[in-house]
Amino acid sequence: MLVFNQLETYLYLALLLFAIGLYGVLARRSLIAILISVELILNAASLNFMAFNRFLAPHPAVGQVITLFIMAVAAAEAAIALSIIVAVYRKLKSINIEHATELRG
Amino acid sequence: MNLLSLSPQAVATLAFYLVVAVTLIGALIAVAARNIFHNVLGLALSLIGVAGLFLYLNSPFVALMEILIYVGAICIAICFAIMLSEPMYLPRPPRKLTKILGGVAGAGLVFAFLALLTRKTTWVPAAQRSTDWSVTTLGHYLLTNYALIFELVSLLLLVAMLGAIVIARGGRGSS
Amino acid sequence: MGACDPNFLSCFLIVALPLLSFAVIMIFTWRRHKLSLAISLTCSTIPLILAWSLFFRLKDAVTMAKPIVTQVNWLVSDAVIVPFGFLLDPVSLLMLAIVATISWLIQVYSIGYMEGDPGFARFYADLSLFGMSMLSLVSASGMLQLFISWELVGLASYLLIGFWYEKFSASEAGKKAFVVTRFGDIGFFMGLVFLTFFLKDINIFGLGIFDINNAALTKKLTEAQVTLCALLIFCGVAGKSAQFPIHVWLPDAMEGPTPVSALLHSATMVAAGIYLITRLFPLFAASATAMSVVLAISTITLLLSSTIGMVAKDIKQVWAYSTVSQLGFMAMGLSAAALGGSTLFAGYYHLTTHAAFKALLFLCAGVFIHHFGTNDFFVMSKDGGRKLAIPMITVTIGALALAGIFPFSGFFSKEAILGQLWHLPNKMWVGLALFGAFLTAYYTFRVIFVMLLPRKDDDPIWKEYYVREEGGHGHGAHDDAHGGGHDEHHGVPWVMSFPLIVLAGFTLVLGFMQAPLEKFLLGESHPHDLNYLLLFLAVGCALGGIGVAWLDWGRSGAKWQGFIRKFPALETFFIQKWYMDHFWRWFLNTFIYGTFSRIFTYNDRRVVDGGVDAVAFSTIGSGRLLSFIQTAFVQLNLLFMVLVLAGVGLYLLMGR
Repeated sequence: MLVFNQLETYLYLALLLFAIGLYGVLARRSLIAILISVELILNAASLNFMAFNRFLAPHPAVGQVITLFIMAVAAAEAAIALSIIVAVYRKLKSINIEHATELRG
Repeated sequence: MNLLSLSPQAVATLAFYLVVAVTLIGALIAVAARNIFHNVLGLALSLIGVAGLFLYLNSPFVALMEILIYVGAICIAICFAIMLSEPMYLPRPPRKLTKILGGVAGAGLVFAFLALLTRKTTWVPAAQRSTDWSVTTLGHYLLTNYALIFELVSLLLLVAMLGAIVIARGGRGSS
Repeated sequence: MGACDPNFLSCFLIVALPLLSFAVIMIFTWRRHKLSLAISLTCSTIPLILAWSLFFRLKDAVTMAKPIVTQVNWLVSDAVIVPFGFLLDPVSLLMLAIVATISWLIQVYSIGYMEGDPGFARFYADLSLFGMSMLSLVSASGMLQLFISWELVGLASYLLIGFWYEKFSASEAGKKAFVVTRFGDIGFFMGLVFLTFFLKDINIFGLGIFDINNAALTKKLTEAQVTLCALLIFCGVAGKSAQFPIHVWLPDAMEGPTPVSALLHSATMVAAGIYLITRLFPLFAASATAMSVVLAISTITLLLSSTIGMVAKDIKQVWAYSTVSQLGFMAMGLSAAALGGSTLFAGYYHLTTHAAFKALLFLCAGVFIHHFGTNDFFVMSKDGGRKLAIPMITVTIGALALAGIFPFSGFFSKEAILGQLWHLPNKMWVGLALFGAFLTAYYTFRVIFVMLLPRKDDDPIWKEYYVREEGGHGHGAHDDAHGGGHDEHHGVPWVMSFPLIVLAGFTLVLGFMQAPLEKFLLGESHPHDLNYLLLFLAVGCALGGIGVAWLDWGRSGAKWQGFIRKFPALETFFIQKWYMDHFWRWFLNTFIYGTFSRIFTYNDRRVVDGGVDAVAFSTIGSGRLLSFIQTAFVQLNLLFMVLVLAGVGLYLLMGR
């Protein structure tokens, strides 16, 4: 059994990508870096879908359609997030997430 | 080592490891580098790797889309956002050990959980599996069975576009 | 079956063009009246031509049992497919042509009627929407499409009835029409839901008219199921077609401009209900119980509205009540046919003839109203209504048709309905119908005689009737625009008289089309064994009605007092419209506002508000308590969230 013909390989890969992305979201301070990490997480999800599509799904089109859907959502999300980042920078003169503390209790 | 003496399977496996390495190294650069531009480049690298993985998963069309949309559009958009926000010459605050530890702990715990879940689950393929991987079929499905999704995506993109414009403009009259 | 089918294309254009015109006028050209008019007229002329060409092209190709269904998939999401398409059979082809014709004529007529109105373009946009929704209702192949168009018809009528929305009564009337018909629509929709529930293998999106009728014909549904569904759907019919007890919106709908009333009363809004019965005739016919209920309700409607029509002073009110009564008549014909195992022809035939002559009557009334700036036909009479030759002649033709006099179309179609009723074992129904026909003839000719034979100007009788209040009846703001019409134009503009003449022609011709129409609808023409007794009874009742009207209103010594004056209690009862408005007001006050609202208000204040307040207070309290951990460090929150989620997940996995 070749390594690239196994479902588990891709699942663990996606998991690694997800974990790396999650680390970025948790540890980075720049909003843009967080956005980059979120893109990684979304890619991990896409990879998962594609893997299931390759190895389990009844029809190959299903997972590909969902992945395309995820891409579109990611594009929309990136557009919105970037505009929010620009707006935040205009207001706070910083894109450090630790400076955005207006909701402190 | 003479590549020509290797079997096609072995070449494919080697190439696969290369793609995996590109993906993971790119991802690590994307989160770990201190220069934000390096992060974007790392992301692009990782995404190219993911596109390669998609190729291994029999989906050249989605792989192309991955490069086109993510690398071509999203990464460029992020570059623009970087240029529109904080100047790069400002001193960057030093890393905080607590934060890194927290991040590692959170990500590690989730990784442990999901890895365990993956290991403990038995994956059952569908009883009947179609083998029609052609792009024609995909396009056909996209415009018939999944036409609603297609429409929804276009609506979503439109709304996102409007939302992005409104937010980035900073509201009425402050242009 | 595809989108390139010529039938599909022409149907699609018929429906899409008016919608396009609505959109274009509302978005782009609403400031430019002439341009809007041109767009709207173009977008109603092409459907007119297409509808008639479809009619003539397919009239030999389709039968009721073998219609042409052409549809495409409109929305697809995996297993759920919403079709969009058209069902062409004799019933829909003829109705398509009628609706297209009448809405086109009314658009032409409105050029004169609405001239100078500030909302001219909006009016045409709304007319287009009205036409579009009715055309798509008529040709719909699926129940979902039909229901959507049904609601669009309601919406368009709301927009048009409340067209002069700056006037309080008009906007109220629009709201009333919308809300009251909505009552019935709830029933309609529930009927559809129950149908899909009973028919298990079809979901509501794919539910076609054909499926329902087939199910009813092949006894896929039990008697009780059919009765339930038919009665629920009849609720919708009763709302749209103004059947007792939810007819109250129709007389108020006179607040709209008169061309709208003509459209509303002949071919669109109220016809929709009757049309639905003909559409689902096999379903209705499968349940004797439901049809008996329909018969009873329509008979009550017939009598109620004809008696109210006897005392109304507003010409549009008289025609409105005559519409209600004729609708009752059609429903009676259809239900009697269903009970007697006959065909839908009689009721449907009356629907077509009624469309022509009722549009005619309203458009004539519109000419008078436009000219004299009042709705009160006594005032029109004194101000010289009969000098307007063309409308006076055509209104008389319309009235003769409405009363059912040979050789006008109403005579033939009423005769057909009475024939159906005659076959019922219980002769009470035909008796009541004849009485209704008598009353119809009476109140119709009350209007005609008063208009045609006015008294001399100094006759003391005017004291009771000539009340020229400014903006008193109906029009208000509109009167100001049109009131001074005497001097400006002496004749009637040709755009207004032309539709009258066309419709009068229809009224004259349609009566003799009975045999060909029957052949077209049913595939065969039944030779009529003329029932002379019934014929004499019917003509006798109509002539009797006219005769009594002559005695009361026409002859030179007539006291201009209806025979009903001798029964003051009854007259008050009729003038008060059988107290139906009072009943609904009382019903609303006592049950809805008094009981339900009070209970709900109490519940709202004590239970819901109290509960919400309690939740809110406890949230605020706990929020105060917990706010100290709200550090505004998003990542910290996220970290805790992730840790807890993963920890719980791990814990659950360990146990396995």
